[in-house]
Amino acid sequence: MKKSKLKINGNLIVLFVALLVVIAGFSILNKNYLTVKNLTNILTAASLTGLVAIGHTFLIIEGQNDLCPGSLVAFLGVFAALLSSKGFGFGVTLLITIVIGLIVGYCNALMVNKLHLEAFIATLVTQSVMRGFAYIICDGKSIGITDPTFIWVGKTSFLGLKLSVWLMIIAFIIGGIILAKTRFGRSVYAIGGNAQAARLAGLNPQRIVTISFVAMGFLCSLGGIVYVARMQTGQPTANLNLEFDAITAVILGGVSFTGGVGNMLGTVIGVLLIQSFNIGLTMNLANATFWQYVGKGGLLLVALTADYIRKVNNEKRLLAESKRSRNNVDVKA
Amino acid sequence: MDKTLEFRHITKFFPGVKALSDVSFFAKGGEVLAFLGENGAGKSTLLKTLNGDYHPDEGQYLLDGKEVRFKNPHEAIENGISVIYQERQVLPELTVAENVYLGRLPVRGGLIDTRTVNQMTQKIIDDFKLPIRPTDRVRDLSIAYQQMVEIMKSYSRENLRVICFDEPTASLSDAEIECLFRIIRKLRDEGKIIIYVSHRMKEIKEIADRVAIFKDGCYITTLDAKQASEQEMIRLMVGRDLGDIYDTLDRNDKVGDVLLEVKDLESDFVDGVSFKLHKGEVLGFSGLVGAGRTEVMRAIIGADKMTAGEVYLEGKRIHCREPGEAQKLGIILVPEDRKTQGILRNLSVSGNINISLLEENANKLGFVSSQKEDEAAERGIKNFNIKTPSAEKKIVELSGGNQQKCIVARWMETKPKVLILDEPTKGIDVGAKSEFYRMICEFAKQGLGVILISSELPEIIGLSDRIIVMRNRKISGEVLRKDASEEVLLSLGMIEEAVK
Repeated sequence: MKKSKLKINGNLIVLFVALLVVIAGFSILNKNYLTVKNLTNILTAASLTGLVAIGHTFLIIEGQNDLCPGSLVAFLGVFAALLSSKGFGFGVTLLITIVIGLIVGYCNALMVNKLHLEAFIATLVTQSVMRGFAYIICDGKSIGITDPTFIWVGKTSFLGLKLSVWLMIIAFIIGGIILAKTRFGRSVYAIGGNAQAARLAGLNPQRIVTISFVAMGFLCSLGGIVYVARMQTGQPTANLNLEFDAITAVILGGVSFTGGVGNMLGTVIGVLLIQSFNIGLTMNLANATFWQYVGKGGLLLVALTADYIRKVNNEKRLLAESKRSRNNVDVKA
Repeated sequence: MDKTLEFRHITKFFPGVKALSDVSFFAKGGEVLAFLGENGAGKSTLLKTLNGDYHPDEGQYLLDGKEVRFKNPHEAIENGISVIYQERQVLPELTVAENVYLGRLPVRGGLIDTRTVNQMTQKIIDDFKLPIRPTDRVRDLSIAYQQMVEIMKSYSRENLRVICFDEPTASLSDAEIECLFRIIRKLRDEGKIIIYVSHRMKEIKEIADRVAIFKDGCYITTLDAKQASEQEMIRLMVGRDLGDIYDTLDRNDKVGDVLLEVKDLESDFVDGVSFKLHKGEVLGFSGLVGAGRTEVMRAIIGADKMTAGEVYLEGKRIHCREPGEAQKLGIILVPEDRKTQGILRNLSVSGNINISLLEENANKLGFVSSQKEDEAAERGIKNFNIKTPSAEKKIVELSGGNQQKCIVARWMETKPKVLILDEPTKGIDVGAKSEFYRMICEFAKQGLGVILISSELPEIIGLSDRIIVMRNRKISGEVLRKDASEEVLLSLGMIEEAVK
């Protein structure tokens, strides 16, 4: 029995090499780049995008999407800060924030499943509404955190890595296992390939989509809490474009925007690639944030071009194979 | 009369398939040459390699002795070769005249010269003797006239030499077909080279002068359409007498108790359908496409909503709201359209077989055992003789027949009680068909109840123990195999038209 179950495809190798090249390149440009401190900084900066990208990996493989995480994380962050400032303990704050996140995710699923809206449109609604509420509940002003437990969550480290990084690592492992090894994961790929065929094959696409949106809500709640804890303040303006960073990472990682294709390892590398690139630019350029946008676009273009070339080559290979095979007549349609 | 279009050694590969194999023959001006062959015989592919939609891997086309090769269909049209497809390629929001001269609209003072274009179009309409106006919006025309607009579009080019029709009558009424034929004859009399692709024997007899017959991507021969008999044409395109296959089938002769009973079933698509299916029985569902055969099954398994009626499985009342529930009970539908409803394109052979076995393959925590998956895939590949180099091969890289076997393997692994096969042999080659027939008999022997929906009358008569005929949302009759003939089934399926 063949046991090469961990499928490393060409795209992943290209990505991994790209990551090494980026890190090596910036290390040469700046001596401070390849330091433990900087690398942990990269991970910390990546943690929120990472969490959201896990949700996107599931949704985009299913052929769905989600545009609301940026504003949802901001809203939940402000909301948590608000609860905390009203004297609620950290545990209660966490719990209520998570419940709200789950409800928002469920609402997205309802719009997609029951109103049959395109996910892109449905979550655009949520994006706008949640950003609005983020301003409304705090009257547009940021809310500081004073609860010591809350602050501890943002400050504490374990083995040199922040709690948010550990959270991302654990979520990546759990998400990766669910996607690769479980019934749910298999169903995700199936409905992304062909939802109608999957339904006739006995799966319940709507339920799988619902679970995925709710999971995204959960990840946003966690993200909102740890982000606010790290910043020690809840800001309604925060996390702009977070969802696009995450989607970029996911696509960079080889998930097909048309659904059905991709894996979690690709997303991990995609997130790291973007973040190490961003930080590298920050260390070497005066107006780095501006260039970060250009860089992100460039990275995506390069990755998609590489993917296209691979696809074309694969088709050529298949064609050559069928020309070679002698038993064409047997295999004919 | 020196006009010829010669096909010389045309060969075309698709992944996993040799779609055209060394096709050589010619078409003459002033005659209608029909292409005849089963689904997947390569007729449409041949047209698409001619007009530059595909590019042949080998071979060449000679038009009046000169080689032609087109990068895309547009270039082919510019050079006088047009293909009229089954699906309309007109723009519904534009007028007839605008559609006909799209891309070449005459301009005066920077604006479209509407008067001239309408006059030019009116001239063609008069030539064709059609009851439409150049200023009509295409979306307001019937499908038949939309097709005429397409023909006019080709005709409006001065240099039109070759015009190909790919199953043009699929959605036309008899009167409309007559109108189309009148125009085809007109084009023929003007000396154009006309290629006419169709499945319908009667039409070929009526319109074609010669018939080129194709089978499995190979050109077989060309016959004189008026002299050749229908039987001879069928024999050549099938290349094997299917009668033999049915005679040698090892049928199940022990039909058991009632397995599935349906009483007065209604949905948005069917009315008052009642029937019984026994263990070990093959029950055929015949009727015209759209009569509601598939829809009955979809209502039973919960793919469509059942609005009234009762379904009993082994005497117990059941009501499925989702196909997944029916599957748990052991009622399986293998859907008609393999591409859109059957296969999961992004997954491997193994993934496709195992997708309905997630429950069996997974433990309580939801973890899927890859060992169990490998075993199920190997079993399916062996039992159903799926020709694939490995279970990890992507399903889309297999031929249609082998894809279909994967879908059947998927379902048989779930150990069903009732197996509903909807047009299971559509678009697969004859060899794979006979394999399917043997499988169906084998399933019946194992005690399954098999429901077979098929539009191929010989197939349904050859395989079924009993045949239910549907017409216009209702059951219109039931026939035992010994009483079944194509005439009986057709008259039950179309009686209204017969009365007319």
